[in-house]
Amino acid sequence: MASVKLNNIKKRFGDVDVLHGIDLDIKDGEFVVLIGESGCGKSTLLRLLSGLEDITEGDLYIDEERVNGRSPAKRGIAMVFQSYALYPHMNVFKNMAFGLKIAGKDKAFVKNKVIEAAKKLKIDHLLERLPRELSGGQRQRVAIGRAIVRDPKVFLFDEPLSNLDASLRVQTRVELGKLHQELKATVIYVTHDQVEAMTLGDKIVVMNKGRVEQVGSPLHLYHHPKTQFVAGFIGSPKMNFLSAKITEVGTENTQIVLESGRVISVAVDTSGFEKGATVQLGLRPEHISLRCDTNTVEGKITLIEHLGEQSYLYVDIPQEGELVLKVDGDNQYHAGDNVTFGIKPNRLYLFAKDGDALPRITASS
Amino acid sequence: MIQPKHQDEKKPFPWHLIVFLTPALLIYGTFSVYPLLDTLFLSLFGTQQGQSTFVGLQNFITLVTDDNWSQAFWNALINNFKFFAIHMLIQNPIGLLLAVLLSSPKLRLSGTYRTLIFMPTMLSVVIIGFVWQLLLSPIWGISENFLYSIGLGHYFDAWLGKEGSALITLSFISVWQFVGIPMMLIYATLLNIPDDIVDAGVVDGANPLQTFWYIKLPLILPTIAMVSILTFVANFNAFELIYAVKGALAGPNFSTDLMGTFFYRTFFGFQLQQGSASMGAAVATLMFLIILVGVMLFLFFIQRRIQRFQF
Amino acid sequence: MTFLKGFLPSSPRHVSKSVTVHAILLAYTVIALFPIIIVIINAFKTRKAIFKDPLGLPDSDSFTLAGFQEVLLRSDFGLYSWNSLVVTLIAVGLVLLLGAMAAWALTEYKFRGNFIITFLFAMGIMIPIRLGTVSILSLMVELNLANTLTALVLVYIAQGLPLAVYILSEFVRTIPKELTEAARCDAVSEYKIFFCIILPLLKPAMATVAVFTMIPIWNDLWFPLILAPGEDTRTITLGVQQFVGQYVTNWNSVLSALTLAIVPVLILYTIFSRQLIRGLTSGAVK
Repeated sequence: MASVKLNNIKKRFGDVDVLHGIDLDIKDGEFVVLIGESGCGKSTLLRLLSGLEDITEGDLYIDEERVNGRSPAKRGIAMVFQSYALYPHMNVFKNMAFGLKIAGKDKAFVKNKVIEAAKKLKIDHLLERLPRELSGGQRQRVAIGRAIVRDPKVFLFDEPLSNLDASLRVQTRVELGKLHQELKATVIYVTHDQVEAMTLGDKIVVMNKGRVEQVGSPLHLYHHPKTQFVAGFIGSPKMNFLSAKITEVGTENTQIVLESGRVISVAVDTSGFEKGATVQLGLRPEHISLRCDTNTVEGKITLIEHLGEQSYLYVDIPQEGELVLKVDGDNQYHAGDNVTFGIKPNRLYLFAKDGDALPRITASS
Repeated sequence: MIQPKHQDEKKPFPWHLIVFLTPALLIYGTFSVYPLLDTLFLSLFGTQQGQSTFVGLQNFITLVTDDNWSQAFWNALINNFKFFAIHMLIQNPIGLLLAVLLSSPKLRLSGTYRTLIFMPTMLSVVIIGFVWQLLLSPIWGISENFLYSIGLGHYFDAWLGKEGSALITLSFISVWQFVGIPMMLIYATLLNIPDDIVDAGVVDGANPLQTFWYIKLPLILPTIAMVSILTFVANFNAFELIYAVKGALAGPNFSTDLMGTFFYRTFFGFQLQQGSASMGAAVATLMFLIILVGVMLFLFFIQRRIQRFQF
Repeated sequence: MTFLKGFLPSSPRHVSKSVTVHAILLAYTVIALFPIIIVIINAFKTRKAIFKDPLGLPDSDSFTLAGFQEVLLRSDFGLYSWNSLVVTLIAVGLVLLLGAMAAWALTEYKFRGNFIITFLFAMGIMIPIRLGTVSILSLMVELNLANTLTALVLVYIAQGLPLAVYILSEFVRTIPKELTEAARCDAVSEYKIFFCIILPLLKPAMATVAVFTMIPIWNDLWFPLILAPGEDTRTITLGVQQFVGQYVTNWNSVLSALTLAIVPVLILYTIFSRQLIRGLTSGAVK
């Protein structure tokens, strides 16, 4: 168990800057999720933390100790790879024991450790099998077991669930959460799946183009995204965006006008902006309500996706574009229906031209 | 001929199958399978007064025990095993080393090294034999001068001309030429090992040597086994190098004689000895059996124990 | 220094390792090329220069083409090269065509005898055709083919087919079944399926097979020596072997003859090395 501190970490491959100076504080026992689109540098950052890649610039502290240049094993980290990376020629026991064997631990100790971890992961009946004789889920567990036996200070997970099928992914996600509760270990977890990030993370780090876009708790990111990028990343289905212009500047209530000329009132602080400034209006599908009569807009349903408990309506708004609405599953809508819906001013988000969010005035945190 | 799959209608005769298969089968059968079987058959016959007669295993008994034959036969066989041993002990380890170095991550110019080191393998053994014969020639003295320049001049000798060193020298020439093959095949296997597996080893604390020993080596063992059997077959089939450098007599005093040259002499004759088709066939049969046993051992023992790994 | 920088990784602990790796590989590259280069540069030098300064490049004093003139005068290198070319091209072409047809038939169609034929071809990969030389020679004599290039072509096809059938079969298996099934649904004939759909898809594998088949044929001494030793049918390898054996004391000629044999192969190798190495490393041969 340990804290991890990143101080202006940079990584350059040849002439290409991949990470532009990452600062991050991770507390002991925290489950931190690094999330971002592919190529945003999240996996590279994980490899820098693991010691598999050299840090170009900046300082990395694990447990208050600077570990730049230290080999992976000496950093006290363990890593679970996306491909699991099990040694194909070793059985499950040997796979899990390998790290301890290299460290020169005595046989009885190794055996105890491996069996203990295997029991915890319910793979103790598979110890004699080779990786190719295991199912995907079982391989996954072996990979986690291999990390556990070494009692690392920090666990690094690189998209560990992405090779599992959907149902197994949900199940393993839950188990990972429980395992973290049990081990109380510091975990750094890379994923591109926002559901994994929201459900597992104590803290989410949203990365974009080699920079940290925002750090915060799942709910904080949901309610107070710092940028349009974060707002679009967190939440499913994605936040809708519409172009608008500010027509009334204020610190509490603001009015904007959409391209079609509809006027919308928004509970956002627009002080510092000029009248007529272009902004992006953000509307979460789950916040648009067909029963709300403020800020009403009408449109025509082009497609309905039924998910059972809820449905997604794809609504075409003349002169504005398409919006996605999340509605109750028991509904009577059909494609082609005209609908009117509204959204409360304090549920709306505004983003400046450069993507920065304008401060929201809302009671919820 | 075609098994009916699921139809009631009778299928027309599969002429296309005949058309596709016959030409290859005909040529392969006539000029490879038949001659091989015929050779095995022929080895059981002898020629007496111009008449071919069945003699059973007499040719083999002659080869192995007769004073005129057995010495040459055993000499060639033992030499051939020495030739093979040198390849196994020198060529394949060097090939392995080069492959490992070539596959170092982020190595610049690896493609160039690979292409250049493989170059000699492309050339004819005959040409390579002559090239080294010139280089090692005391008349030209390139090797001698080179050794003097690094202070080892007094070790120089006419290696190819001495009974004690000729075979070893020729083995080294062959090793020099064919190092590229184990290198390439092992290199290809190393490239196929996913980076993640090696990374996992590094995270587990393995140093480069341990990574090689515990992770990479077990994964390339199947390739090494295959390289070994290829070396075995090629070595017990070798002829050109000896013939080019030392001639059919595999001098000095047959010290470089291999099964291939022995076969050639037996079949075509040399000096005063008449060539004999049936004795030649007997030698070929023995070579066939040696290679067959080698291949079988490979298939049944090594291949079965070392599975190929899927990643 | 900036030049070096590009080659070496940033951290110092990697630099020394990287230098060692380059040093060993470079050393071995020199070992691999030195003998060949020595022969080639000396082929262009006068006899005196060959002995006086074997490592030096030819200069205006020592440069001569006398060796090459002698080789071309005293032996028919043009003819030998032509023979080699004809034999190699025809044999490789037929190995590819017949091998592809057989590979297709053996992997696509189920029929009795399929296994035994596949096995027969597989054996040929390991068992050298040379072992049947005694019978091949008498067969060729009976067929009146002794001392003809046809004899060589036939033997080389038989020699090349097993590996070709094996590699191409492996490749055919990777072609999606839907492709042929779709064609059959459209009532395309089996011949058309093979020649118009499969054969074009086999091209990359055939390139690999071509290189693997070509090299042993071009370089072979055994069968030219035994089946076609006559002056008219000599291949380049046999031609060089005979020439060098005959003029062993004429250094200019010997070096020139070797150079004439080496250089074309090296040029072709440089052109096709990418293809060859891709073939070797793609796992086509296992």
